[in-house]
Amino acid sequence: MLAGTVAGCGGGSTGRPVVNLYNAPQENIGALVDRCNRLAGGRYRIVLNTLPRDADGQREQLVRRLAAGDTGLDVLGLDVTWTAELAEAGWIRPWTGEHERRAREGTLAKPLETAVWKGRLYAAPYNTNVQLLWYRSDLIPRPPRTWDGLMRESARLAAQGRPHYGEVTGARYEGLVVWFNSLIQSAGGGILTPDGERVSLGAPARTALATMRAFARSRAADPSLPSMREDDVRLAMESGRAAFQINWPFVYASMAANRPGMLRTFRWAPYPGIDGPGRAPLGGGNFGISAYTERPRESYEAALCLRDAESQKIAAVRDGLPPTIRSVYDEPEMAKAYPMRQAILDALQTAAPRPKTPTYQNVSTVTSAVLSPPDAIEPARTEARLRELISEALQSKGVLP
Amino acid sequence: MITRAPARHARRRISEEKAAQRRLALWLCAPAALVMLLVTGWPILYAVLLSLQRYDLRFPGERAWVGLDNYAAVLTDPFWWNAFWVTVVITVVSVAIELVLGMLLALAMYRTLVGRGAIRTLVLIPYGIVTVVAAYGWRYAWTPETGWLAEALPAGSAPLTEKVPGLAIIILAEVWKTTPFMALLLMAGLALVPDDLLKAAAMDGASAWQRFWHVTLPLMRPAILVALLFRTLDAFRIFDNIYVLTGGAADTGSVSLIAYRNLIGGLNLGIGSTMSVLVFLTVAAISFLFIRAFGISAPGTQGERR
Amino acid sequence: MKADRAVMTRWLVVDLLVVLYALIPVLWIASLSFKHPSTFTDGSFVPRRWTLENYTGIFDNPDFTRGLINSIGIGLIATLIAIVLGTMAAYAIARLDFPGKNALVGASLLVAMFPQISLVSPLFQIERALGLFDTWPGLIIPYITFALPLTIFTLSSFLREIPWELEQAAKMDGATPFQAFRQVIAPLAMPGMVTTAILTFIFCWNDFLFAISLTSSDRARTAPATISFFTGSTQFEDPAGSIAAAAVVVTVPIIVFVLFFQRRIVSGLTSGAVKG
Repeated sequence: MLAGTVAGCGGGSTGRPVVNLYNAPQENIGALVDRCNRLAGGRYRIVLNTLPRDADGQREQLVRRLAAGDTGLDVLGLDVTWTAELAEAGWIRPWTGEHERRAREGTLAKPLETAVWKGRLYAAPYNTNVQLLWYRSDLIPRPPRTWDGLMRESARLAAQGRPHYGEVTGARYEGLVVWFNSLIQSAGGGILTPDGERVSLGAPARTALATMRAFARSRAADPSLPSMREDDVRLAMESGRAAFQINWPFVYASMAANRPGMLRTFRWAPYPGIDGPGRAPLGGGNFGISAYTERPRESYEAALCLRDAESQKIAAVRDGLPPTIRSVYDEPEMAKAYPMRQAILDALQTAAPRPKTPTYQNVSTVTSAVLSPPDAIEPARTEARLRELISEALQSKGVLP
Repeated sequence: MITRAPARHARRRISEEKAAQRRLALWLCAPAALVMLLVTGWPILYAVLLSLQRYDLRFPGERAWVGLDNYAAVLTDPFWWNAFWVTVVITVVSVAIELVLGMLLALAMYRTLVGRGAIRTLVLIPYGIVTVVAAYGWRYAWTPETGWLAEALPAGSAPLTEKVPGLAIIILAEVWKTTPFMALLLMAGLALVPDDLLKAAAMDGASAWQRFWHVTLPLMRPAILVALLFRTLDAFRIFDNIYVLTGGAADTGSVSLIAYRNLIGGLNLGIGSTMSVLVFLTVAAISFLFIRAFGISAPGTQGERR
Repeated sequence: MKADRAVMTRWLVVDLLVVLYALIPVLWIASLSFKHPSTFTDGSFVPRRWTLENYTGIFDNPDFTRGLINSIGIGLIATLIAIVLGTMAAYAIARLDFPGKNALVGASLLVAMFPQISLVSPLFQIERALGLFDTWPGLIIPYITFALPLTIFTLSSFLREIPWELEQAAKMDGATPFQAFRQVIAPLAMPGMVTTAILTFIFCWNDFLFAISLTSSDRARTAPATISFFTGSTQFEDPAGSIAAAAVVVTVPIIVFVLFFQRRIVSGLTSGAVKG
């Protein structure tokens, strides 16, 4: 009876093959793991391993082990920006056949696109994410659609002596790149050409840079803008010193828990643009399968279970992770946890993915280094510098700061 | 004739004993020498080989010999030079502070009349504590809202995210942790200053400061130089404190940190190894300068001369 | 009498300053580790609400306990091997006359000053190829290497202080040099070896760069690296309480060593480096 699993070289004490899941910290992921272990009915047992909190730390851990050909990794929780790098290096397996069909089925187009490299699917989308404009309707009755409009609102509030800061992620890290990437795509351009081979930038980049610089020097800018990350942005708004923030939807649950009083006037609107609606940053996570896994069959199956509609609903309701499967948004439980779910779906239509290249890490690192601090940006000079450093980064020839 | 034979015999016995001694010495030293050679000599040569290649683990297919291209890339890069000068500043400032503070600490430990043993014990705590652990302490102390030291700063300042305050805190952490080591080395140097000499100077009417400056310091010179050399080279490879305190944000990264980022974060073995080799060469140059300029000799060889 | 009291008072003040210098940062970490999560961000030096939660938390965390085991195991093994190899070499340096002695001393001095970062990339590559990456030996070997100069310097200066007439006497009685070393000298050298062992262990215990570069999982990751990889329960929660508690736990052995072996550590640290 046990012959099958023994041949598959055993595993845990129970004799069931162990599937090692490596994922970013997520409070209730244990519930998904338990559910899938139950459903597996003895075919495999998922063991959860938690990666560091920050994306760079997570990537460093995974990549170091993959580079060493470690067979102890099976299912990998991947940030949407890592697909190209890991696929190109041959560290994650492509999804084909029945696995691919199940991963694609009912999945929203934008998140799915983040898991594709060179026409092949390399991961199964788990959760997506888009940034929205979050504002206080007692201070800003009608949310502007552009960055200029937001700056005008701040100036007006400042003149009235009311909270007027607009919080964005201006620290020297991925968040700054996310901001720039959305602005440049809102201006009709991109950091790289669509094939990810060459630098694009140009006039749209200068427009985006001019907007960032203007914002950083306007009344909207918090003095600590150059050190703000997502969580600082959230806390600044909860502390009452900001009139609006640009952030991921997790801020809603946090506001509900920490400042229920403020929740009544806490609203959301589409991501601001240059001279029309903007293209919101696209985030999220996918499940990939390590190239070195010794249990590919069980790993694919476990990954599919961890990202199926039921799992995504649990993650959405309990941990605030927006689903990648369209039908989950219509579940009744979603209404309470996700009053902004239509806004997310709308934003997903035009959301701006980050450039796809195996050297994304290098591109992102030099970009955030050049753009920091935002008030020191000089559009023409900064664009030229970005062009030079990103070209080098694309070939992984330059130095990482 | 008769007297020569035993002499030859004795000489042969001595040389036999010498040869046995040599054999024993070689056997005794071989394992240590071999380990050190294998784990530093071979890898550093290997690092030189890697530094001459384009070798990015993410593009295994593009591995190729590129001559000195990596050196050109690193040596013309502003990020590298920023890290280099940051390292130099940290080294010079922290070693200078440590020398003054360490001397005061050494004098206090050496001359105190109250609780000498207790003082000497407590001072060892910063020396022994894990650097990363101490760094976390400093990090939380300077984090707004969490830290008792951050409370003293004007509202809204986040010193660890700005260059100059960040470097100042890195230097503070480094100085706190390593001054005791400096002080212990200097204290041993103080022990070499004969009391009679100081008493004689006092009789001649020299003030405490004059005695320190004209009698104690010159006699301590070798101890000071050795301590300076040790600490300078140690400070130059600073990594742990920066990794925990700022992570290299706001241009506060050292050469060790930027090399680590390129190596382990970027998986670029070519560029990373180039930096490794450059750090090694810098350290070698510093040691050479110290030895040349001040005539320091290796601690272990001192015994031979006495 | 009056002057004496003034002098005493002055020294008391100086001593107090030294005590504050050495202890305040340590007490701060300890204080953080006892703070209740709800008061963690009050910025107060003394906890307003005490709790042991952080400690029970980290000992329930298998990553941390595993890291401690790794740290202790790797530290002990590396120390043991370094002491054995170091004693052999130090004996030769202190007692025997042989060509290449200065070269050996010079080489170990070089190693003592070697920038560890220069070895990270080649060792990463070599260990991956040899299958030593992320294993105990993968850390033990570099630790031995960097501990050897320390052990050689400290031990050779200890060994010089030993009354070697005893060895001569043993040789007269027909013992070979090795027997003389093992039966007569080694016991006398014991205190020096203990001191050196403590210093070596502190060195291994303290390492961070190799611990994060040459490991990738809790198989060999030591406590300092584990601490730096602590995660909160969510992506946005800082695990500061656990970090502080773990920091205190890894500091305890050091404090114990320092309290019990203060005199030895001081003499060990200064013996190698300063005479001259």
